Amino acid sequence: MNQARVDSYLIANAKYFESHQVAYLRDKLTSMEDEKLDLLIAVQLREPSFCIMISLAGGSMGMDRFYLGQTGLGVAKLLTAGGCGIWTIVDWFTAQSNAKKANMENLQRIIG
Amino acid sequence: MQDRVREQDDREKASNAYVMSLVALMTGLPLPIVNLLATFMFFMANRKSSYFVRWHCTQALLSQGFVFILNTISFQWTLRIIFGDLKFSDEYFGYLCVVILVNISEIIGTLISAVKVRKGKESNWWLFAPLTNVLVRKDN
Repeated sequence: MNQARVDSYLIANAKYFESHQVAYLRDKLTSMEDEKLDLLIAVQLREPSFCIMISLAGGSMGMDRFYLGQTGLGVAKLLTAGGCGIWTIVDWFTAQSNAKKANMENLQRIIG
Repeated sequence: MQDRVREQDDREKASNAYVMSLVALMTGLPLPIVNLLATFMFFMANRKSSYFVRWHCTQALLSQGFVFILNTISFQWTLRIIFGDLKFSDEYFGYLCVVILVNISEIIGTLISAVKVRKGKESNWWLFAPLTNVLVRKDN
């Protein structure tokens, strides 16, 4: 993919990834074929700050995990009432990081 | 440049270990186990992070473990006085004073550490820092 496209993608989407992953992404996207661009754009990225809000509002029902597409963990969290509140508290502080990791994993499937 | 960027992420995560243990403590009172479990879960969630993050998660966990033991003894002792066969005694009040002092020190220390670590400064606790140095392996 050409540098201009890579840069515009990263400028628009850097907030969805951990800061130290951006350089890695730049290298991977630069070496990626142009044909994968449509797949790349189609990837749904989860907003980290929205994930924190969901975690605060509905964390005890596993809503933050469902939002990230982690259905199994979401059900476990729902059935345990947020791990009796303990898991809920932990996820308040890890929600942003979890969202960024989930985004990276989703993107990794496309870029390889 | 990348190391500096990573450092900012690490500082935030390491600081969150202390902040989270405080929030869990406030939310879980009077049960002493809530903040220990929360700190342990946070430690497990960050066990593959950098040395800096793992080190501070471990120190937070060790300090919470120590306070948990003290608080559990006082909790059990209090329950036995209220519902059981024991009576209030000077030893009980003496122990309670010690526990309260330790908890207040721990809360203050945690707050200070959270702020210092967020700024990238070292925060070594007496007793727990040497133990943490032994337990946490450096990055390769």
